[in-house]
Formats: sequence, C-alpha cells, structure tokens
Amino acid sequence: MQYAAYVLIQLLVIIMLAPLLDGIIRKIKAFSQKRTGIPLLQVYYDLLKLLRKTSVVSEESTWVYKIAPYIVFSTSIAAALLVPVTTKIMPGTLPGDIILLISILGLGRFFTMLAALDTASMFGGMGSSREAMVSILIEPSVLVSLFMVGLISKSTSLPQIMQAMKGIGAPLTYPVFVMIFLAFLIIIIAESSRIPVDDPSTHLELTMVHEAMMLEYSGRHLAIMELGAMIKQLVLITLLVNILIPHDQLIAVTGIGALVVSIFIYVAKVITVTIIIAIAEVCTVKLRFFSIPNLATLSFILLFLGFLQYFILGGSNV
Amino acid sequence: MFSYFDVLSVQILFSSFILMANKRIKSYIKTFRIQSLLIALTAGAMGFSLEKGRIDLLVVCLLIIVLKVILIPNMLEKTYASVEYIVEKDFILNIPILVILSCALVVFSYFSVSTIEGINSGIINAQIVNSMSVILIGLFFMISRKKAIGQIVGFLVVENGLYVTALFSTHGLPFIVDLGVFIDVLTAVVIMGFMVFNISEKFDSIDIEKLNKLRG
Repeated sequence: MQYAAYVLIQLLVIIMLAPLLDGIIRKIKAFSQKRTGIPLLQVYYDLLKLLRKTSVVSEESTWVYKIAPYIVFSTSIAAALLVPVTTKIMPGTLPGDIILLISILGLGRFFTMLAALDTASMFGGMGSSREAMVSILIEPSVLVSLFMVGLISKSTSLPQIMQAMKGIGAPLTYPVFVMIFLAFLIIIIAESSRIPVDDPSTHLELTMVHEAMMLEYSGRHLAIMELGAMIKQLVLITLLVNILIPHDQLIAVTGIGALVVSIFIYVAKVITVTIIIAIAEVCTVKLRFFSIPNLATLSFILLFLGFLQYFILGGSNV
Repeated sequence: MFSYFDVLSVQILFSSFILMANKRIKSYIKTFRIQSLLIALTAGAMGFSLEKGRIDLLVVCLLIIVLKVILIPNMLEKTYASVEYIVEKDFILNIPILVILSCALVVFSYFSVSTIEGINSGIINAQIVNSMSVILIGLFFMISRKKAIGQIVGFLVVENGLYVTALFSTHGLPFIVDLGVFIDVLTAVVIMGFMVFNISEKFDSIDIEKLNKLRG
C-alpha cells in the first residue's frame, strides 16, 4: 500500500513539474530580452486546452501515426518510474536499469521519427532525419557518462549508484564528476532540443528539428506528444541532479516528513539546473546543423578527460 | 585537500580543448582570456592554501589578471581590428579530428611523464600530465591554424602551459623568475602584433601560407 502511494507521488511530482520547467526557461528568456513574457503557468493552460480539442488526422496516415503519441508518452512515464526521484523506492526493480532506461527513451524517439515519416510531409522527413543524426551523435556520450558513474559505484542499478554517490560525500569536488556534470548538461540540451542544437520556439523554419516532427499533430495528440517530450527532459535532469548532487532523504526514507522535505530539495535542485540551462540558452546562438558534431565531440572529450583523471591518472582516489 | 587543484588543472586542460574546437579568431581570444583567468585562480588559491601563505603568489595572480586577462587580449583584439580579415576556413583538418588528435596528445604526455622518476606521488602526477598536455596542445594549435593571430594565441597557450607546469611542480616559482617570464611574453606579443600588421600590409592577408611564395 505504502509502496503504491510512493509510486503515485513520484508520478504526480514528475508530471506536474515537467511543464513548469518550460515555463521557467521561457520566463528567463523573456526577461533577458526585456519582455514580460507569458505567465509562468501558461504552459499548463496550453496543454489543458489542447487536451480538450479533437485532433485532426490525415487520411493518408496509417496506425503508426495514431499510436505514436501514446507510445511516446508511456515510454517517458516508464523512464520516469525507473529513476528514483524523491525516495529510494523504485517501482521497476529490474537489473540493468541504466541500459533499460536508455533503450526505453530510444524507443520513444524511434516512434516519434516513424510518426513524422508516416504522413509523408516534407518537413516531417527532414525533421526525423535530423533527429536521427543528433541522436546518433549524442548517444555515445549518454552511454559513456552513465557507465562511468556505474563503474565508479560498481553497479548499473540506479538506486545503488545513488547510494554510492552519497557515500562519496560531495561528488562535485572531484574532477571526474565535474566533467560528467558538464558533459551531461550538453546531453540534456541536445536531447531536449534546446537552443545550441535546435530552437524550440520556431515554427515553419528550415532549421527546426523537433518541431518539424510535431508539425502534423494537433489537439489531444499534440498535447500528449509535448508532455512526453517535457517529461523526458525532466527525467534527464533528474538523473543529473540525483546522481551527482545526492541529498540525504534520497537514500534513507523515513515516513511522510522526510518525503515532503525530499520533494522540496528535489524541486530546488531541478530548478537550479533548469536556470543553468536557460542561461546557456540565452548566451548562445543556434549552431549551424553541421557544427553539431563539434558540440557532441566536446561532450565526449569532457567524458574522456574525466575518465583519464579517475581511472588512469588516479588523481584523487575517491 | 588538494582536489580543487585537480579540478582547476582539468579545467585549464579542457579550456585548451575548447580553444582547439573554436572557429573564429574572436573566440580564440575569448577562450585565452578564460584560460588565463583559471590560471590566475590557481595561483591565487595556491597562495592562500599553502602552509606558509605566500604573498608573492597573490601578486603573481594579480599580475596574470592584468597582463593575460586584460592587457594582451585587448592588444590582440586591436591588432585583429586593424587588419582586414575575411571569414574563411582557418584550420587544416576538420575540428572533430583535431580534437581527437589532441586527446592522443594527452595520452602521449601521460606516457612520457610516467617514465620520469621522482614524481611518484599520484596527486602531483595528474596535475603535471594535464599541464604538459596544455603545452603540447598549444603547439598543435599553432600547427593547425593558418592565420597569424591564431599562431600568436597558440604561442601564448604554450606559455600558459609552461607556467602552469612550473606552478604545479614547484608550488610557486621565485618571484623574480615570474616577473622575467611575464615581461618576455609581453614583449613577444608586442613584436608579433607588429609583425602581423606588417604581413597584412605587404600581402593583403594574414594567411601565413602566402609567405611561401617568397621562395621564388
């Protein structure tokens, strides 16, 4: 019973928090341009309004197009359930969590690309081919960063990794974890199609990636797709903050009080990282598409240097 | 206790990787500023944290900020503004390959440093490997860029690397040596800036490939 309650709380926290991050990023961007910007909760209103509308489906499309939003949403939710958000309790107690997590996220992305190809619109095809390229470039960094953390904590299960990180103390004072932190920021930016890689606020431009794949969707389907993408972004941020900045309540859960405190600390950490991402978005311009390999190389180099510092040079043995 | 020196030395190394991945001359200069700021931080942190409390290292920190963060980059930017410059491809190989080759340089410097006897202590080892790699990457940067200003920045990065190596291996050089080195660098930059200006006047470009035509 208690177990189910924790699962529900975790799910609710993730779903309720995910659109807020977009709101915060938009607000900071508006602030940097000396605009008032939309209200912080506007993203929620938009989603609710879209949910109430019927969706228009092209006659030429097949079942893939109709089923894709639900698959994207459910893969994001499944990924969210694999990551311990506020407590040690993890619903899906399976071995090999990291690999499962990455492949679940990969499944969602695969169906997004299929659905974009399905309607045979020109933008959809371009969007999915670009998305494929970006994901190929960034996937090695995701794998290497998570496996490096796994190697250091000698486990691939996320709760055990977090336990080991808490044992280290403050991971961000060691070179290897600073490197992983920076590399993971680049990964989050690329995976959630933020500005140096893709501009989330453009419509009908030749440079868009994620928006191009969403172009055919409307109404309920669009709302579910967008919420799925936001949850995916939050899952990645959660991974970053809970692995590299662990807090006490994350490990030892005792009753409701600790849970509430844990949720507050968690939200504070996530918002901090969101602000960092927003500042990065304000300070940079969108890269030329063929410069994205350079960004991916930089994130890979960060991981390489971190690996070298920890495993080969053995600078500061944790 | 010394782990923040490790973090700083890795950041310095990574800033030279960023320099390698840069495309424009303005961003070379910006990255050089950041790297020098990190070095100033290292010197300052060392001055505070060592047992005796070395005041001269704090002076050196201030000197680095004045010279390498403010004065020399400003001078380079002035030179850059005075020569006519067209944005074009400046490097010999494409950027991912250059960056991966720089990785190989780090590995190489690890193998070469690990054969030196006397520095068996693990902590010192990592920092020295990082700063030796900064020297090698600076040299490689000089080879990989065609434009003269890029080569000046490469020279300055080599100098940064030498200084950081000295800093980490001795924990603070004698003050008079520091002063000598800084004055040398300043003179070199002034002379090189003048030469860039002259090259640009003679050949209408600062591309050093054009100097090959002098062979006749």
